[in-house]
Amino acid sequence: MRLYDHFKREWQIYAMLLPTIIWFLVFLYKPMYGLQIAFKDYSIFKGVADSPWIGFEHFKTLFSNDQFIRAVRNTITISFYNLLFGFPAPIILALMFNEVLHATYKRTAQTIVYLPHFISSVIIAGIVITAFSPTAGIINTIIGWFGLDPVYFLTQPQWFRPIFVGTGIWQEAGFGSIVFLAAIAGVNPSLYESAVVDGANRWQMMWKITIPSILPTILIMLIIRIGNVMEVSFELVILLYQPSTYETADVVNTWIYRQGLQSGQYDLAAAGGLFNAVVAFVLVMTANTLSRRFSRTSLW
Amino acid sequence: MSGVNLSGIIKAYGALQVVHGIDLNVAEKEFVVLVGPSGCGKSTTLRMIAGLEDITDGDLMIDGRRMNRIAPKDRDVAMVFQNYALYPHLNVADNMAFGLRIRKMPKDEIKTTIDNVAEILGLTPYLDRRPADLSGGQRQRVAMGRAIVRHPKVFLFDEPLSNLDAKLRTQMRAEIKRLHNRLGVTSIYVTHDQVEAMTLADRIVVMNDGRIEQVGTPMELFNNPANTFVAGFLGSPPMNQMKGQLTESGAQIGDAEIRINGATAGHAGRDVIVGIRPEGFA
Repeated sequence: MRLYDHFKREWQIYAMLLPTIIWFLVFLYKPMYGLQIAFKDYSIFKGVADSPWIGFEHFKTLFSNDQFIRAVRNTITISFYNLLFGFPAPIILALMFNEVLHATYKRTAQTIVYLPHFISSVIIAGIVITAFSPTAGIINTIIGWFGLDPVYFLTQPQWFRPIFVGTGIWQEAGFGSIVFLAAIAGVNPSLYESAVVDGANRWQMMWKITIPSILPTILIMLIIRIGNVMEVSFELVILLYQPSTYETADVVNTWIYRQGLQSGQYDLAAAGGLFNAVVAFVLVMTANTLSRRFSRTSLW
Repeated sequence: MSGVNLSGIIKAYGALQVVHGIDLNVAEKEFVVLVGPSGCGKSTTLRMIAGLEDITDGDLMIDGRRMNRIAPKDRDVAMVFQNYALYPHLNVADNMAFGLRIRKMPKDEIKTTIDNVAEILGLTPYLDRRPADLSGGQRQRVAMGRAIVRHPKVFLFDEPLSNLDAKLRTQMRAEIKRLHNRLGVTSIYVTHDQVEAMTLADRIVVMNDGRIEQVGTPMELFNNPANTFVAGFLGSPPMNQMKGQLTESGAQIGDAEIRINGATAGHAGRDVIVGIRPEGFA
C-alpha cells in the first residue's frame, strides 16, 4: 500500500524516467537474449532457441585464433595509448582554459576545440585521409618542403596507432574538457583568494588547489574510461584501417564485425563480444574498488 | 607601527560606485570591527585592504607604506574567510602549513610553528584530520590557525563566525578576543552582527551604503550615536525613535511631553527625533 501511495504521489518523476528505462530494455537488455548463441552452434534457420548448445566451444576457437588474439592485443594497446595520451588531454585543456582570463578569446578557443566532436566520424576520417594523403595531403606537402619522399601513412602499420590516437584526441579532447571545466567551476573561489593572500602564484594554485579539487571528477571519469577500454572507437577504426594495417589496427570490435556480419559466423562473433563485455566489466569493477580504497571516490 | 590607514578609499564597478571615499585610521594592535547591514560595503573594504579587490581611488597605507598596487602576498596580511577556505584535500597540519610552504620556510621551522599554534588553539589532536572530519568550531580554529602561523602585521576577518551556531559563536568570540589580547596583532573584523561588534571591538566602524556613519568605542556608539541609522542599528531590541517637537523643557510627542535634561530652551517648536532605548525605561 505504501508503494502504491508512493507511485501515486511521485508518478510524474517515474513518467520522466520511463523513456530511459524503455531505451535500456530495448537496446541493452533485450539483445542480451541473443548472447546465448555464444554457447550454441547457431543456425539462422533454427533460430536462437532451437540451435544446439555446444558449451565453451566458441571460446576455445577464439583463444586458438591468432587473429582474435591479435585483435585483443591491439585493442589493449590502442586503449592504453588512449588512456595515456587521450585521458589527460581534456584535463590539460580544461586547466588551460581556466587560466585564460580574456573572455572573448576563451569563448572562441573553446568553440574551436569543441567543434570536431560534432563532426561525423566519416567526415573526420575523410579529413584524416586527405591530410595524410601521399599526393595532396598537407602532412606530405610539409614533408616535401624538406626534400623528403612522401610517406604512405595510412598503409603502414607503425603509423596507424599514433594517427588513430591523435585523431581521437583532436575530435574529443575539447568536448571532454567540458566536464572538467564544470568541476573547476565548482571549486570554492575563496580557496584561491586564501592562496593569493598566502602568496601562491597561478601555477601553484593550479597544482595545489585546482587539480586536487577536481581529483574526484578525474577519478570518476577514469573509472568510466577504463570500463570502455575494450570499446575502441569502432567506426573510426573501420574507416581508417585497411588490410595492410590489420597488424596494428584490427581490434576486437572490427574482428567481430568481420566475423559476424561479413563471414556470417554470428555465434563466434557473439562469443567475442561476450568476452569483450566480461573484460570491461572486470576492469570497471577493479578500477572502482581501487579508487574507493585509495581516494574515497567511486561510482557506486 | 603596523597601523592601517584608509584615506578617501573609493570602489567602483564600472559606473556603479559601492564605496564612497572612506577615511579610517586603525592603530597598531587595535581591534576594529566594521559593522553594517548587508551590501553596505564592509566586506568590499576589507577585501581592498587584503588586495583581493582593486582600489578605484584613494590611498591604503599599511605600516606606513602605500599598498594600493602591492600584491596581496606582499602586504603581510592574513585573512580568515567566512566559509573558512580550508583546502578539503589537505589535513589540518598541511592546511596551516600551506602559506609557510609557499614562502619556502624550512620544514623544521614549519613544524615548530604549526605545533605551537595548534597548541594555542587546541588543535593538536586534530592535526592529521581533514576539514570534512572536523566540527564547525574546529574548522574555524584551523582557519584562524592558518592566519596566525604567518605572523602577519594585520589580521583580516570576514564574518568568520557567521556559519556557526549561536552557542559556538559566543565561545569563539571569547576565543578570538583572548587570542587578540595574547598576540596583539592589528585586527580588522567584518560582521553584520552587532553583538559581535560590541563584544570584540576596541572601536566600531558603522557603515551604511558605502559610507562610514560613525567610528567610536562600543559605548560611545551605544550612548551617543551620531545619527538615527547608528542609533537604530546598535542595540537589541533597537532604540525607540519618535518624531516630535521641542518644548522649553523637553519634547512633545503626540499627547505626551517628555522632560529632557539639557538645553532645549530657545529651540521650542523645532522638529526633533527622540530616541529612547528600552533599557532606559525604569
